Amino acid sequence: MIEVRLFATLRDNREKIYFLPADKFRCALDIYGYLDIPKEEVSTLLINGFHKKPEDEVKDNDVVALFPPVGGG
Amino acid sequence: MLTRYERQRILPEIGDSGQEKLSKAKVLVIGFGGLGTPAATYLAEAGIGHLEIVDTDTVSLTNLNRQYLFTEKDIDSYKAHVAERVIGRMNAEISVHGKAQHIDASHIDTAVRGFDAVVDCVDSLETRKIVHDACLKRNIPLIEGGIDGFHGFVACIKKGFPCLNCMGFFSGKQKETTPVLGAVAGIIGSMQALETIKILLHIEDVPFGKILYYDAKRQELEQVDIPGNPECVCHKES
Repeated sequence: MIEVRLFATLRDNREKIYFLPADKFRCALDIYGYLDIPKEEVSTLLINGFHKKPEDEVKDNDVVALFPPVGGG
Repeated sequence: MLTRYERQRILPEIGDSGQEKLSKAKVLVIGFGGLGTPAATYLAEAGIGHLEIVDTDTVSLTNLNRQYLFTEKDIDSYKAHVAERVIGRMNAEISVHGKAQHIDASHIDTAVRGFDAVVDCVDSLETRKIVHDACLKRNIPLIEGGIDGFHGFVACIKKGFPCLNCMGFFSGKQKETTPVLGAVAGIIGSMQALETIKILLHIEDVPFGKILYYDAKRQELEQVDIPGNPECVCHKES
């Protein structure tokens, strides 16, 4: 399974954590699509705590964390 | 002798020596909106000796759901000028200076120089990055905050620790108009003031290199370690 953790506004109308079957997703961008998250709404993607690109591979037991830009003041 | 700070002075973490440190501290608050209002309020009331508040904007009607120090009479006045008057009136024992000035890369180094801490309360990703990078360069602790609807974050940034550039924080597309509920802005701005005081007084381990996310719908706080990037400027000597 892949653990996907959403932060801030990405949680709106979604769960904060998903556990997804690893064999259904090749890269983080596939996860964006499954969760209906537009690519431009993600400012930061971490895979197992490391900064990654949406096209980077995901695999079983990965922890994927997605963060939006939080710019209001 | 009782002072206006008596109820915080009796905290063992503050005491007379801590209060003395606060009275000598110089703090810059950039942005006097939803976050800057509570942040500057609590810093002034805590007795920060020299408070400078920078904001280029004027007060508008849509500010009044959250920027509680403004009134309808202040509309079209420079926020920084109102801040100097109103915050200055709260505590006559401190110096409060408001600057109606735009922050940009050409003078940011001068703007932050000499301060013990910078509290970033702006609403533009571009300005955030300018302030963030200048504080790293000058080795000034930065207390960053942001809000969007029912969500907010606080991050304490300092040279030598993973920073917001490390995690690509300034990429992505910002909303043209960010929805803001005043109570959420109040919580995040107050947390920025709190972290500033903790940094100035060395209270506990300040969470440098981490971001604290606040989810107001679920009433949850979650601390995330910023992944360090060895190539990032925060790890390099200036």
